[in-house]
Amino acid sequence: MTGPETSEATGFLYPFLEAAERDHDSLLTDLAASARAKAAESAALQRSTLAASAELVETTAAEMARRFARGGRMFAFGNGGSSTDAATLAGLFARPPAGRPLPAWSLTADQAVITALGNDVGFDLVFARQLIARGRDTDIAVAMSTSGSSKDLTVAFAEAKRRGMLTVGFAGYDGGQFAADGAVDACFVVRSQSVHRIQESQALLGYRLWAAVHEHLAELGERQ
Amino acid sequence: MSGPTREATSAAALIDDGLAADLAAASLMLARRFAAGATLWCLAPSWEPHANHVAVEFVHPVVVGKKALPAVALTGPDLVSTVRVSVRPGDVVVAVASAADPAVRSVMRRSPAWGVSTLWIGSGPRPPAGSADHVLWLDDPDPRLPATGGFVLLYHLLWELTHVCFEHPGLLSEPVPECTDEVCVTCSDEGRLAEVIEPAIGGRSLVRTAEGEETVDTMLVDPVEAADLLLVHAGMAISKVDEELDR
Repeated sequence: MTGPETSEATGFLYPFLEAAERDHDSLLTDLAASARAKAAESAALQRSTLAASAELVETTAAEMARRFARGGRMFAFGNGGSSTDAATLAGLFARPPAGRPLPAWSLTADQAVITALGNDVGFDLVFARQLIARGRDTDIAVAMSTSGSSKDLTVAFAEAKRRGMLTVGFAGYDGGQFAADGAVDACFVVRSQSVHRIQESQALLGYRLWAAVHEHLAELGERQ
Repeated sequence: MSGPTREATSAAALIDDGLAADLAAASLMLARRFAAGATLWCLAPSWEPHANHVAVEFVHPVVVGKKALPAVALTGPDLVSTVRVSVRPGDVVVAVASAADPAVRSVMRRSPAWGVSTLWIGSGPRPPAGSADHVLWLDDPDPRLPATGGFVLLYHLLWELTHVCFEHPGLLSEPVPECTDEVCVTCSDEGRLAEVIEPAIGGRSLVRTAEGEETVDTMLVDPVEAADLLLVHAGMAISKVDEELDR
């Protein structure tokens, strides 16, 4: 993403102001105060998001647990920073710090597959084509996004839905296309305008979902 | 350990005044290094997606109009060798890793010989004092913390504060250390760390220090091997530095 670099474009107007600035202590004080304020904002958003999503976490985790119990697998994906958060979530399921490992993968992990698909069929299909190759009707597709509207993700969800997979979307802002689209079974929306704060809440939501899946798996085991 | 439990630490609540001050100082250092031409090298051996996330924040900012900055995730096997061949004096290494991570410990120990500044983000038991130039640490020992967004918050704040520093160009030049004493650590040659590039031929070895490559006398410490760390004084290696001295 590129755009006008405001501070550099207008900096020439105030050469004395900025060149004369030598007071690091006051900058450091401002930076530390800003860090605490942003962290408090992040924590408040995490609390409100978890409260608003509590019921959806339960119903989604119950369905995910049923699918894992029947041999289902999870495929997680996203773009940019969200692709790394999706990879962290897949890693939490597959290599958990506690509890039983569950089959889960990040669909951005293989550069050969991503570049082959991006080059040959277009970037919008990089995840959908992988789901066509690997996905079964017991599986789970999880996409993390801040806009909720990226074309490669919505195309992948449409494909996952056609194949009978459970579709779980994480979005920010007003939920974007994920919230409007019938292809997303469970849509977790973090209601914020800040990409960073959205991702911090999505990480905690993903953690909650993982913990709830394990609780439901334990219940399924007891019932048998 | 029993199965997963539901309650998860909100890392945001863990950012106290001390950590906020550490973040501020780390961000000013990073902005100054970038202003001087540094590349940021990102490592997270146990949680590689975090290394990728840090790099993409800087390379492709989410806020329109913010400067794209050189940052690269280093992943894969033999991480110490990958870092060694990548970094140049003046660069910065950021690691997201536990204090026990052997590759990150080795990178941090070698960083003075490579002339790079270091940032270490993690949780649980802290690394020994002085292990990195800036330690951004969540003291909560919960092993689930890396997956709950705590580290994401820390490196998001690092990015945000670094860009605030760019709005203060007058503060981006690093203060030049004044040299008034007769013996000054900065400009006298008092025990600099060096890493062996090529082992000794006739007691003279090619080494790498923060100032670049040079040949030093290794008679006192021979035999040496490539990657050994040495303390160099006045063109002479005076001792080997034990790789795991602080363990």
